[in-house]
Amino acid sequence: MAEDSTMTGTPALAVRHSLGWLVFGNTVGLYLALLLIEPGLQAGAWTYGRWMPVHLNVQLYGWTSLPLVAWLLTIYQVDQSRRSAWGAAAVWAWTAALAVGVLHWLGGTSSGKLFLDWKSGSLQAFVAALVILWCVLAAAWIDRRSVWSRTRSMASLAGLLGLALVPVSLVFASSPAVYPPIDRTTGGPTGSSLQGSALLVIGLMLLLPRIITGHPRHGRNPAVWIFFAVSWLVFGVTEAMGGTHRDPHQILAVLFLLPWVWLLPRDWKGFDWPQGAAAWRYAMFGWWGMLVVSSLLMYQDGILDRIKFTQALVAHSHMAMAGFTTSFCALLIVLLTRHPIGGKLSVPAWHASALMMIATLAAAGWLEGAGPHWMADPPAWRVAGFALRAVCGAIMLAASAHWLWKHRLP
Amino acid sequence: MVGGGATLNVRGVRASATVAAVYGFFLLFAQFAFVELIRAAGRGHTEEKVLLGVMALAGVAAGFITAWRGAHPSMIRRALVAAALSSALAPISGNMPGALAVAALTGSALGVSTVALAALLPGWCGLPWVGLGTGIGYAVCNLPFVFQQSPAHQSWIAAGLAIIGALVMPESAAWKQQGEKPNTLPFPAAVLLFTALVWMDSAAFFIIQHAADLKSATWGAGHLWRNAALHLVFAVISGLCLHRGARRLVPLAAWGLLAVASLCVNSASTRDIAGLFYPAGVSLYSVALVAWPGWLSGAPDSKSAAWRAAWLFAVAGWFGSANGIGMAQTLQRVPAGFIAIAGVVLLLALLRFNRSHMRPALAVAAVTACGLPATKQASPSQATAAQRGRIIYQSEGCIHCHSRYSRPGSPDESIWGPAPDPKTVLAEQPVLIGNRRQGPDLTNIGARRSEAWLKAHFLNPSALYQGSVMPSYAHLFADGRGDDLVRFLKESGIESTAQLMGSQSIWNPIGSALEYDAKALFARHCAACHGVDGMGKGPLANQFLIPPANLRDGPFIRTQAADDLETAIARVIKFGVIGSDMPGHETLTDGEILALARMLREWRH
Repeated sequence: MAEDSTMTGTPALAVRHSLGWLVFGNTVGLYLALLLIEPGLQAGAWTYGRWMPVHLNVQLYGWTSLPLVAWLLTIYQVDQSRRSAWGAAAVWAWTAALAVGVLHWLGGTSSGKLFLDWKSGSLQAFVAALVILWCVLAAAWIDRRSVWSRTRSMASLAGLLGLALVPVSLVFASSPAVYPPIDRTTGGPTGSSLQGSALLVIGLMLLLPRIITGHPRHGRNPAVWIFFAVSWLVFGVTEAMGGTHRDPHQILAVLFLLPWVWLLPRDWKGFDWPQGAAAWRYAMFGWWGMLVVSSLLMYQDGILDRIKFTQALVAHSHMAMAGFTTSFCALLIVLLTRHPIGGKLSVPAWHASALMMIATLAAAGWLEGAGPHWMADPPAWRVAGFALRAVCGAIMLAASAHWLWKHRLP
Repeated sequence: MVGGGATLNVRGVRASATVAAVYGFFLLFAQFAFVELIRAAGRGHTEEKVLLGVMALAGVAAGFITAWRGAHPSMIRRALVAAALSSALAPISGNMPGALAVAALTGSALGVSTVALAALLPGWCGLPWVGLGTGIGYAVCNLPFVFQQSPAHQSWIAAGLAIIGALVMPESAAWKQQGEKPNTLPFPAAVLLFTALVWMDSAAFFIIQHAADLKSATWGAGHLWRNAALHLVFAVISGLCLHRGARRLVPLAAWGLLAVASLCVNSASTRDIAGLFYPAGVSLYSVALVAWPGWLSGAPDSKSAAWRAAWLFAVAGWFGSANGIGMAQTLQRVPAGFIAIAGVVLLLALLRFNRSHMRPALAVAAVTACGLPATKQASPSQATAAQRGRIIYQSEGCIHCHSRYSRPGSPDESIWGPAPDPKTVLAEQPVLIGNRRQGPDLTNIGARRSEAWLKAHFLNPSALYQGSVMPSYAHLFADGRGDDLVRFLKESGIESTAQLMGSQSIWNPIGSALEYDAKALFARHCAACHGVDGMGKGPLANQFLIPPANLRDGPFIRTQAADDLETAIARVIKFGVIGSDMPGHETLTDGEILALARMLREWRH
């Protein structure tokens, strides 16, 4: 399955699958953008509402998750173990589960929960894929632990035990009976919920250099870990208190993200990075800074009230996924495979188009927030915004197709 | 594209034209016109089967004879002349013996020309030319002025194609592959793979042919140019991909496209999708089918390639096709299980039975099996219409465009009605707050809209709101799901009716009507029901049990005795006649409402 490629090994296979899902997700995204301009393009029962979970989920569970799967396969040295042939099986199982999911979402089987749209058959398939992956990692651990240091062996075991909870957590989180606390003034997440999800990402960003590049040059940087622990504490307290975006403690929870704009780049500076990783690293921190600062701004009283339910929040989601997460995944891929993502044209084209799309959506969202008049009488700015968005989407699709192509053929 | 200078490119063009001619003849005459001529002559089902069986047997036999004798360009030329003769005579071969002769001659000509062509093509051109030729062959057959001809005329066009092929075909019998990568697919794998693909293709084709709505959605007049373009583009892509070495990707992609097309033909609501996917999938694998004997089978010379072509076309082509049609005839659908089996067969074939690749195949099979049991959506028969409607709301992803949360203390309450109790919202399973407003908030939709209005809107949203981004959901009403959804929406926030009426009674518009063109506003927001002249006879008027009001002559029930008539009319425009089919116009500004109210007041005088 890995023929015709300059890269070999299971992590490389996972990367190619990841890029394949990115191209597919972007294709669907472009189609959705076009549907908002011309609803007549809708194909029968496969409506906008059915394609939306496909777009969201393949980006999250395909494009952004498979590099993490590749990372896990690398950490547990699956390719060096006697069970190496099962590594590819885990990757294919993941892709098969997503494909099953796509069919279910298009068929109208939805849990109704964004990014947790796993229900009945799709849930069973995805849990099966997670179990297969876990078994492959466990088999590799059994095989490789004797050659690892005791610390690594125990840390990997702890990781395995943690990973065993993932399928259970997925089933729990996808359940219709479970819903996170909401800000009753907006119907959206609380500040602490935003902080909590960001802290998970921050945790990954703290682990990445330590696992891939080794120990920092200038000691272990305990201040970062202390602030990380304090942040979790703040999250726990404010989450338990609940409240709205007008409550100081919820604003405080979001404010606790601000130092990470500076702390993370500073932390990463202390590691030796391989050549070729700089561009994506800088891009990632650029997007990260924008993401945190815009989150703070958008959480303000009066601003959140205006932009809630508008395209501005779609803009923010794209900043998170197309900007920050894409850069993070691309960097991870570069680090894992030592193989560049894209070229001198496609990478800047991606970032520029993403930025343009985000700016367009944010502006449209701000105007939408002024009142519902546009709903019955679509103004020119909205139509032009959608058109510009579609153009940006087409460029991003072309860029991602180039990344995939470059990763398949030398 | 294929290298080798101008001479080679001319040969490539000629080879491509020959491929187009053979494919064009096969599709236009053997697949379409001849069958239609048989039926037009009043022959029964058995006679049709006999004739097609004779054609198949003659084709298989001729293919093997060609392989035994060794492929030569002169064979193709003679076969194409024979093909032209058979299709030219077909419309005038009135009796059964005549039809049998045409069938035998057509089958023989096809058997010889396809096998010899597949064996000789590598000496003539590269794979991109094969893609181009296949695409042109398919595209020509789909051009409206070809497709819409009578069967007799189509037969003569096919004869013309065969003659063109015989005239332009290259002369060389040399065996030389034009710089293609030596990446082969063993014979058993190829037979399995192509049989599965032809089987799916034929089954889907049969169903498309025999369902009137599907046939019009696929090969209706408006779709022919689209189909021609799809065939051409995907065949060219296929040729290029095969040329670049993506020899697994092409059949896999073809299976994916045909799988979607096959699944779509099973349901009336998704049949128009099949029309998009089917031509793309067919073109992709058709190029690979022609390319396999010469390029992908590892054949060392044209004789070996001819043998492989004969076997492949006999098994995959004739056998696969017959069984696909047989299955579709019996079941009248393409079962999802069969599509999955075809996928597994394809994977096994592509994995070349390599043991190391069996693990991914096993994992994929296991995961797919886990995902299969619940492919059918649960529809609890004991549930109420509103409960079923809620499931539809969830399934259709309405949350991606509509919120169900009028925010407390915000302008939402004056536009979309009172805010819900957060505890009630969070008690729902699942919570369906939604995260976007491409359209209105639906918290109190039951109090703001009637069932008749909701249905009219689902059927054709842009009839009520010009330029609406909401697509039509008419397909939901074919099986009652739409009515359930309407019921669910009607019960959403219905308890807010009294509160909404209270808000209506105290609401006063603030703003100036001067800057608005009331006539234009009326044409845009009111004329669909009330008519451009306001007489109550708009294009949607007959969709409501109680006809829309005549705004010039009345009777005026709700605004009859108002002291301030303009404000009373404005309140009706803003909130509607709550409890009736007259909806509110929440998205209009106060100034717009005032302008409309003023004009309507004047109309009464």
